[in-house]
Amino acid sequence: MRNTGRRRLELTRVASLGFTALAALVFLGMLVLFGVESLPVWRHLGLGYVTGTRWFFRVHEFGILPMVYGTLAVSAVALLVAVPLGVGTAFFTAEVLPRRARRTVKAAVELLAGVPSVIYGLLGVLLLRDFVVKLLAHWDPLSGDTLLTGGLLLAVMIVPTVMTLADDALSGVPADHRMAARALGLTRAETALQVAARQALPGLVSAALLGLGRALGETIAVFLVIGRQDNQWPERLLSVQPLANAGQTLTTKLGGSETFIAYGDPLHWGAIMGLGLVLFVVVTAVSLAGASLVTWGGDRA
Amino acid sequence: MLRTGQRLLLTAGLILAAAAALTAAGAPLRVNGSTTVNPVVAEASDLLRAERGLTIQVDTQGGSSGGMAALGEGRAEVAMVSRPLNPEDQTHYPKAHFVATRIGLDGVALVVSADVWKGGVRSLTKAQVRGLYEGKVKNWKEVGGPDRRVVFFNKEAGRGTWEVFAHWLYGDPKAAPLVTLPEVGSNEEGRSKVSATPGSISQLSAAWADGKRIFAVGIRQDDGRVLLPTPAAILNGTYPLSRPLMMVTDGPPQGAAKILIDLLMSPRGQALVKKNGYEPAAVGEHAK
Amino acid sequence: MRKGLDRAFTVCAAACAAVVCALVLGIAGAIVWRGMAVLDWRFVSRLASGGGGAGGVLYEILGTVILVVTALGVCAPLAVGVALAEAVYLDGHENRRTRRWLFAGLYAANSIPSVLLGIAGLIVFSRWLGWGKSWLAGGILLGLMILPTVSVALIERLRSLPRKYVEAATGLGLSRSQVIWSVLLPQSLGGLVSGLLLGLARAAGETAPILFAAAVFSGAGLPAGVRDSPVVALPYHIFVLAQDSLDPAVQDHLWGAAAVLLALVLALSLLALPVRLRIHEEAKSA
Repeated sequence: MRNTGRRRLELTRVASLGFTALAALVFLGMLVLFGVESLPVWRHLGLGYVTGTRWFFRVHEFGILPMVYGTLAVSAVALLVAVPLGVGTAFFTAEVLPRRARRTVKAAVELLAGVPSVIYGLLGVLLLRDFVVKLLAHWDPLSGDTLLTGGLLLAVMIVPTVMTLADDALSGVPADHRMAARALGLTRAETALQVAARQALPGLVSAALLGLGRALGETIAVFLVIGRQDNQWPERLLSVQPLANAGQTLTTKLGGSETFIAYGDPLHWGAIMGLGLVLFVVVTAVSLAGASLVTWGGDRA
Repeated sequence: MLRTGQRLLLTAGLILAAAAALTAAGAPLRVNGSTTVNPVVAEASDLLRAERGLTIQVDTQGGSSGGMAALGEGRAEVAMVSRPLNPEDQTHYPKAHFVATRIGLDGVALVVSADVWKGGVRSLTKAQVRGLYEGKVKNWKEVGGPDRRVVFFNKEAGRGTWEVFAHWLYGDPKAAPLVTLPEVGSNEEGRSKVSATPGSISQLSAAWADGKRIFAVGIRQDDGRVLLPTPAAILNGTYPLSRPLMMVTDGPPQGAAKILIDLLMSPRGQALVKKNGYEPAAVGEHAK
Repeated sequence: MRKGLDRAFTVCAAACAAVVCALVLGIAGAIVWRGMAVLDWRFVSRLASGGGGAGGVLYEILGTVILVVTALGVCAPLAVGVALAEAVYLDGHENRRTRRWLFAGLYAANSIPSVLLGIAGLIVFSRWLGWGKSWLAGGILLGLMILPTVSVALIERLRSLPRKYVEAATGLGLSRSQVIWSVLLPQSLGGLVSGLLLGLARAAGETAPILFAAAVFSGAGLPAGVRDSPVVALPYHIFVLAQDSLDPAVQDHLWGAAAVLLALVLALSLLALPVRLRIHEEAKSA
């Protein structure tokens, strides 16, 4: 009996640690893959790749700044809409609602999180574009395919993430703290804002960061409504006008047809892979920042 | 449960063995390329699948250039291309020996949305098209249309339709100026965008202009004659943006590829070409 | 003044919640209303026709099922392995740094944009392995995509199991491996199942991982092999058609396909619900 046990022990342990190592290798391997495949563009263009504002693949001009702007612009719009909405809803469910109603609302919001991104894209194509044209009438958009459309669609997609994580963070504040605050005479709002929110702040920031990570990496939904116009580098970065124009993000370029025609051309392929590398690094950094703010019970000895 | 682990391992082993056995299954015919040629080839593939059990996979993700890339890299047996082959295609893949079979003719039209057409724009000169493309003409009233901003949806540079357009406008696609315009990929997407956006214009296969929501404008010559992409004009070449619809193979067509191309060249296949709004290839002609 | 602030706070928070709930109802309602007009037995049992924009979505449904089942087969053993590594083999104070790295790694892996996974699959499976477009590549990529979430779900379940079971089993003389297979895994099966179901619900709806190396729009039925055996799948079908939504008939077809996909995703998520409720009850009573 003991002999069998020891042999079984090794098998399960080896398999388990082996699988873990395999999984780690796969994900690290992806990073290496994008790095190595993009070498031609780093060698050829160096930093000009990151600071360039023109992308014309036929003449081998590769500058990704407009796409970085596009990614940041849609993500900024998404955060500006989704964070207040999500955190506000989380305040409602965590601080105001009784327990059972909270579970119902949370379940409904989680359903929203399960809707596939292509369906969001479809809704964006069929419903959101006309709405945005009317909304942006003052800025005279060419069509409903704009950066703002992408940003609003992303906002709807990340609201569930932000809301659920914010609610978890707020609910994690022990009930005694709230009761003590109320006993001292604080109103519900003051309790929520000054006691619960302050304690849950790392979790709330983490919720926003993880929502941002998701927004940065979303491809399919944004692809359908953003117009996919290259070289949209705005003259003034912080104005609304560029949002009324079509644009391009790192992800929408990757999901487009250039990925299919670039393979035979080392520099073009390197440029496409470079997009992947930049995206990978940025999203990982944001997500790790968000993760580091979440305390997890993994340190129990 | 000690036996759970054993059961799992056994199942996994069986699955892997089955997968390994299945890996040796027969090779399908892979067709890749233009969305203009696609409707005809898709219907022909359905016929062959039903009648002869052939497995034919059709993919249009990269357009004509994507098809040539797939063919050159060995990822497809047939490329669907909606423009004439040029020397670069061969130099890009020196080891391949491309053989093109023309299965039909089509024209590239400049299509406009309904409001532009009804507003009076029925034809454009080459110079006007150049102005529209390069963004110098910003309002339709400058070319005899309504007072509306011009939205030019540009076909992606890898598409056969775009190369034919650039060849006509600038003599050589490489000489085309670098413009920044919203892009459309497939014919389907172009049709969709133009019909949904007032004041828009794009390059599109002439057969796809339905005359209800998108309209093909004519090309106005210096002498005032207007060339419309009618079937006759495309067939006899008077319409300047005529282009061949080609099936390209590496070496002469063989096997399943030959069956497919033979079907497309047969009366039944040519009927499919006509059914989709294109013009038939001249009988018995194989272009290189 | 303070009372005013309190009321304003409640109103604002309620307004946010109302907007979010309206979004949920609006989205679900739009899809159900438009999709119901098209959905009938013929729609789910016929093949696509007319260039893909008409007819039914039978093969697309089958393709999605094939991808999901493959993802299950890939993800389950890997997730169990990772979870056991974290909760059992790397337990203890001396391994806490490794666990922290593992945790960070899981978080980072979970945030990788799915389009990057798809392109990596294009390079590794389509090009290096020469598989062309393959259902197996799609299944593997989807399984890897959901691996972090399923692993975390199982880890949390393992860690929440009452110590008394393990202590009792060890006290009876069972080795560590026997404890795992006889006690830990059976007890945490619910967590694994619910984590897998939720992960698969996500995998069923993903487009980007299968866009490059697994799916085609038309011309694929049931795959017959691994190489050059793509599938047609609901998400990719919808993605391509959404770019051509001029024709009202195509629009109807789109809504129908979207409704089917949503129903599939919902079914998988809802299947996890009774399991999750049971775990919740157990946790409360333990």
